[in-house]
Amino acid sequence: MLTLLSIRALAVRQPTGEALRCLHLTAVTEAARKGTREKARKKKVKVEVKKVGFIPHNQRDKKINVKRADKHVDDSWKQVPKDDVYVGRYYRWPVYTVAEAIQCHRETHHPSMYNVPNASLNVEIELNMQGEKATRFVDNFQRMAMIPHKFHHGEDRKIIVFTKENEEITKAREAGATLVGGVELIKDITNGELLLSDYQFIIAHPNILAELVALRGLMKRKFPNPKSETLGTNLAEMITKFSNGISYSATKDEYQQNFGLIKANVGTLDMDAQHLEENIRFLLQDVNTMRPKRDGRFITRVLLKSAPSSEQLKIDPFVYIPELYDKNVAKASKEARKEAETPEQQAAAAAAN
Amino acid sequence: MLKNICVTQLNLLKSATSLQQQVRTTFVLKRKYEPLLHKTNEKPRRMRAKHFIYELVEDTLVKKRPNLEVVLKTFVEGVGDKGDVVSMKPHFVYNKLLLPGLATYKTPENMAKYAKTEAEKSSVQHSSAYAQRTVNMLESIVLAVIMNKDEPWVLEPWHIKASLRKAGFHCKEECITLPKERIEGPDLRKENKEFCCTITINKLEQAKLRCRIHHWSTDPSERLPYVLEHWKLPAEPLLDVGLPEAAATNESAKPV
Repeated sequence: MLTLLSIRALAVRQPTGEALRCLHLTAVTEAARKGTREKARKKKVKVEVKKVGFIPHNQRDKKINVKRADKHVDDSWKQVPKDDVYVGRYYRWPVYTVAEAIQCHRETHHPSMYNVPNASLNVEIELNMQGEKATRFVDNFQRMAMIPHKFHHGEDRKIIVFTKENEEITKAREAGATLVGGVELIKDITNGELLLSDYQFIIAHPNILAELVALRGLMKRKFPNPKSETLGTNLAEMITKFSNGISYSATKDEYQQNFGLIKANVGTLDMDAQHLEENIRFLLQDVNTMRPKRDGRFITRVLLKSAPSSEQLKIDPFVYIPELYDKNVAKASKEARKEAETPEQQAAAAAAN
Repeated sequence: MLKNICVTQLNLLKSATSLQQQVRTTFVLKRKYEPLLHKTNEKPRRMRAKHFIYELVEDTLVKKRPNLEVVLKTFVEGVGDKGDVVSMKPHFVYNKLLLPGLATYKTPENMAKYAKTEAEKSSVQHSSAYAQRTVNMLESIVLAVIMNKDEPWVLEPWHIKASLRKAGFHCKEECITLPKERIEGPDLRKENKEFCCTITINKLEQAKLRCRIHHWSTDPSERLPYVLEHWKLPAEPLLDVGLPEAAATNESAKPV
């Protein structure tokens, strides 16, 4: 009885199933959908995944996903050593005076150790390049610092001097200029007999400025101007500055915009320690003129180095320069500079007219 | 009936938790939507559902705990001397000072109890908290003393001082005691030979520093071939050079 019932139930259900199946299969709906789907398919842009082969780790792009440590090192959270013998890594860096640091380098360079007593003393000046705003930075700069005690810097510096007066020509020659001349020199250059690119430094006296304007296109940024101290009346001093001075350039870090570094040579270890200190003082003072008008430090750390020793000894730069930005001092110095410049500029303007 | 008995028995057998852990369950919250003000002398308005939405201001569980102040019962290396009141991170204090019984909480009674007596003050055993660490580190290293291969030299304390400074240790010249025998050079028989000198820290602790002489020439072609990780290799002692005098006499009385 039961089996009979179930068979009947099957027979009844079968047709309903077929009816259900053909419910949505009308041709009209399919055609309508076909178009829209095609459109959608066309809209889709196939994203092709390019297969990249293995790139050695040293050739990979270094800019991506690399967390870099802050280059401004701050160890003020560390302890100050109290013992007379201590392990350096647990404490703050010792701050040497320049004389002490030089003495330390002289020890390692002594004939009984490295035997290079005339090694050059290098200064590394670390700068905080942040400008007046947090998003603005001081541009890379290249300058020449005048030093009182000259040394052999090993560079070939050629200086060309333009002046009219014969007296000054002889003076400039004595001071060490490579080439000194007046109007005839300008003619040579315009004729193409002399190449300006052979000379790194161009110095001029204001009395020749009117004729020199013809060379403005050739000199471009090297054109003498009082701001870069290549135009002035005291030629001898300018020439000594450019032939003996320390040429240095501040470069911002590639990845950290607010970190600038200056590497400069200030002398040799066999020079008098006091002379070296003077040179360092003049260099630091020259760097400090580039300070942006903001609070806080500009020079953050100064290290003294000397190859072949890898030692770097920290010195305190704020013995030689003011640590913090002082509005009044900056203003006063600016005014003083202006006053000094005005007669020169007037002379220059008069010459140009 | 049976069920009831079971429950009572279970209750009887239940044990109390022996470890009482302090739990910080304070959360500082702030209403996301402030309820409106009500008129004076009237009932406050009925609060709506949105007035019960809160924002987390502070979770006290993840807040940094302040430092703990404790009194040291004995000398602890790297921390301080007996009777010193030190303020350090709470976990360090619990695990390294309070649990081993090296310190107690700072109370006037404890401070009086563990203060240094006159007798203890006079018999100084440790000059500073970190002197022992410096001794350990000095004794664990092998100092490379780089001397010239071409110029004649006699080893002096400042050579060791400069070598130590290059290795990251700062010391004064008077702290270094060299062996009695003169060490002269250049002598390639002394290359990579070991000798000991004594470093005296704060005129009290003494460390035996192992030094090895290496010859170095200014001219790169004259230099000796570099041995990789030479300080890990065993070295022969420098002949006829004994221990420095101070080290030999104080070996037994060295503070531990």
